[in-house]
Amino acid sequence: MKHFTFFGGKGGTGKTSCAASYALSLAARGVRTLVVSTDPAHSLADAFDKPIGFQTVPLCPNLWGLEIDAEVEAKKYMKSIQDKMLDLVSAAIVDEIKRQIEIAYMSPGAEEAAIFDKFIELMESVGRDYDAIVFDTAPTGHTLRLLTLPEILGAWIEHLIEKRRKAMDLMKMAARYDKPLAERIANDPIILTLTARKDKFALARKYLTDREASVFYFVLNPEKLPILETARAVELLSKHGIAVGGVVVNKVIPPDAGPFLEKKRLSQEGYLQEIRSRFSPMTIIELPMLDDDIQGMVQLQRISALMGGLDS
Amino acid sequence: MNKFLKALRTGWEFFVLFHQGTFVDKNMAVVRKEAFDINDNLMLLLFGDYLGIPNPMSYYMLELLPYVADELEPWERRIQNRKFIIAEKAAQYDFD
Repeated sequence: MKHFTFFGGKGGTGKTSCAASYALSLAARGVRTLVVSTDPAHSLADAFDKPIGFQTVPLCPNLWGLEIDAEVEAKKYMKSIQDKMLDLVSAAIVDEIKRQIEIAYMSPGAEEAAIFDKFIELMESVGRDYDAIVFDTAPTGHTLRLLTLPEILGAWIEHLIEKRRKAMDLMKMAARYDKPLAERIANDPIILTLTARKDKFALARKYLTDREASVFYFVLNPEKLPILETARAVELLSKHGIAVGGVVVNKVIPPDAGPFLEKKRLSQEGYLQEIRSRFSPMTIIELPMLDDDIQGMVQLQRISALMGGLDS
Repeated sequence: MNKFLKALRTGWEFFVLFHQGTFVDKNMAVVRKEAFDINDNLMLLLFGDYLGIPNPMSYYMLELLPYVADELEPWERRIQNRKFIIAEKAAQYDFD
């Protein structure tokens, strides 16, 4: 068992069912587990057939659930900034600044950033409140962006700090005869804030690239497009230093399915061969196609024994 | 004698201030201008989205707002009124 387990893959392949049943198998083994959905279109509550929201709710012994709500997180963040602002600047300027905050709120990437913040916060809580966190992520593209965010933004923020430091050095030179100003420059809040942000990114990156702490599993169906997409995603993640532990092949038609599905089953056979050869050193788990939707605890328990095989 | 000392001190103070004003402050003004310029450019990287330049992390830049709120409006005015950057630079080195 790793501290952080991610389930990703193409939309509709069964990420949520896999994440939920894997979390159930952990909880059954006595591991305090939190299952989190980072997909803006949540379906975790549907899988468990229980209401889950932006606040952590207990689902069964040793298992808690959470659906990250980007809007709520963003509002919390804005509120904290406005409160801080009231301490530092006059109320008239605060009003003016509110407009700017609105702009940033609407900007592309704000939602991602808000989810990412919550994401880091959760990762820091491991060991204290939970032993393991299972992430049910959004479809591949969104998740890859989310996971590679810290690396890209880390470099950008480094550059900003460098620039500010250069300006401050010059200011310091100019303020050689002005003691109070020199002191204020030494504790520049902008450098401090940027550095804190950089450290946060570095921490997230440390967790994500630590092979002992995090692992990523792809869920796919035995079809052409999911295989191609998964192969590309695996390549990209390993380029960014994130370990891919294996793939879960979902909706495999069982041999006794009957004549109607026989042709489909034969084509799946071919794709299964391809999956085995493409992803062979990694763990590969096959889940059978079920005759019913996977919904509710009882159904999840049916596949959770199979999902527990990811750890062996 | 006392009178002479007093005159000497006044003369010295005058000399110090003259030196400050002529050499130190004038040079330091150049340095300070350079620092402000770098800072203005930095602000452009931080809050470029207010001027229509997309910023990959404008959301995270919001937490800097409390510290630069006072500078923001004059900066916006300065940066929008920039017409001749070469002339600006030349003025900085007394070439105007």
